[in-house]
Amino acid sequence: MNLFQPFAVPYMQRALVEVLVLGALAGAVGVLVVLRRLAFVGDALTHTVFPGVVIAHLLGRSLLAGALAFGVLTAVLLTTLGSHRRVGNDAALAILLTSFFSLGVVLISRTRGFTADLTVFLFGRVLAVDRSDLYQTLAVAAVAALTLAVVHKELVLRAFDPEAAAAMGYRAGVLDLALNLLIALVVVAAVEAVGTVLVIALIVVPAAAARLLADRVGAMTALACLLGAAGGWLGLAVSYQVSVDHDLRLAAGATIVVVLVGLFLLAAAAAPLRRRLGRGRVAAEGGAR
Amino acid sequence: MSPLDAFADGFARRALLEAVMVGGLCGAVGVHVLLRRLPFFTMALGHATFPGVVLAALAGISLFAGAAAFGVVVVAVVALLGARERVDDTSAVGVTLSGAFALGVLLLSAQAGFSRDLTAYLVGSIVTVQPGDLVTTAVVGAAALATLAALHKELVLGAFDRGGLAALGYPVLALDIVLLLVIEATVVTSIPAVGTVLAVALIVAPAATARLWTERLRATMALAAALGAASAVVGLAISLQWRVAAGATIVLVAAALFAVSLLAAPRHGLLARRVAYRASGSGPVSASSRA
Repeated sequence: MNLFQPFAVPYMQRALVEVLVLGALAGAVGVLVVLRRLAFVGDALTHTVFPGVVIAHLLGRSLLAGALAFGVLTAVLLTTLGSHRRVGNDAALAILLTSFFSLGVVLISRTRGFTADLTVFLFGRVLAVDRSDLYQTLAVAAVAALTLAVVHKELVLRAFDPEAAAAMGYRAGVLDLALNLLIALVVVAAVEAVGTVLVIALIVVPAAAARLLADRVGAMTALACLLGAAGGWLGLAVSYQVSVDHDLRLAAGATIVVVLVGLFLLAAAAAPLRRRLGRGRVAAEGGAR
Repeated sequence: MSPLDAFADGFARRALLEAVMVGGLCGAVGVHVLLRRLPFFTMALGHATFPGVVLAALAGISLFAGAAAFGVVVVAVVALLGARERVDDTSAVGVTLSGAFALGVLLLSAQAGFSRDLTAYLVGSIVTVQPGDLVTTAVVGAAALATLAALHKELVLGAFDRGGLAALGYPVLALDIVLLLVIEATVVTSIPAVGTVLAVALIVAPAATARLWTERLRATMALAAALGAASAVVGLAISLQWRVAAGATIVLVAAALFAVSLLAAPRHGLLARRVAYRASGSGPVSASSRA
């Protein structure tokens, strides 16, 4: 199988740039999501931007703007609602997620072409990304990357030692809002091209795999970026090759997710091995001293 | 025109019956889902039954059987992944959810013309339920509720005090598995009505609403079942009247009931708390921190 030959055609090149950028960005944000155990928040955000996309579609405005508006709205809601003692954070999330998603479904069910639109939203159309889509994604990704660079240290501190973060004068609510907004930005950047199901996979799966293989946050982040981008590349190549050579249509987005999960399983298999090697090295160093 | 006129047709009556049964079942089971903090898992279960449904459709066997079989696999995978020290439960659920769903899409995309079937599966299609579906819902629902009733004491103790349950000599793991299977059966049963993405709403929202109104567990379950059935019926009537997607309307009704209760419930509502806070004049009643 050739990893480069499928990308001779322009639409595959655009798709490749899209998944490489999104894979790396989602990997970096994903590490924070996994460390804070916020996978459900990520999942919720992927669903709650849906009504924004639908309303923008119905009004004939930019889908990105609609998604952005609802992404920010959800991030604020999620942060401010906090946890009600008798409701619980995850119950509130589940209700918020499904009611926003339902709102989108109700709105769009009044239009023609309902099923086709819904499918695109859920699974994206990465092979149909055009130049302006690509620029939009790059712009949002740049904003997200910049934000991440500015608050990364504080978010890591908040993840590992909330008391110390509070003692140093950081407001937990502000940091939580920053992280939720970051997740929202990733979702918004990605949702039109790759669909909601793929976004949540891009955020959670590479980061979870990197966590199995690395101990330090820096190494984990680098590895997650690398795995996210590599999964995107490999998935696109596999999907293209299989459909050209074997005449079997495999949805590009879903193939990328399956490749990512494959990488995760490899990491899970390699992790015990690595730990044994690491222990051996520590023992050897201890003996030399 | 009276609201009941919407249910004059045969298909609408079948849909009404299905709505009452699914709503009641989901509401009652939802209380256990909340007690054990399993909403995300329930969500994942809904998504993850998808490849089972696709495989069953390809093989020409019952969709229920396919979904149920795959659900069991998912329960096992989440348990296995979550048992590893470096993979926390939430990430395990996230990986399983996206992986299983993508697998289903992959299988389906290899077939022609997939968007139509997929939509019915994702957001439900309660107005097209068949008499056979009604029988399945009735049988599965009765079995699930009977299991919950028979094991009520043990399941509740397990939710609050696992150590105590084990010390009393009960098989904790077996009871956990029984509960997960009941949840799975509920999700699979409600998929024809509200779809995989929205099944979790009908399970979580009525139970969360009921918990705001009452503290006693049996009362919570009864109220949740009633709220679930009521949301389903009202949502269905609205959707028939205005011709909008039925499953999504049902979810919006359930969510609206929750939102109103969150504001106005007598003891645990936000307004009541504000009043209590003013009256006591002491520190904040609720901490809004997220761990």
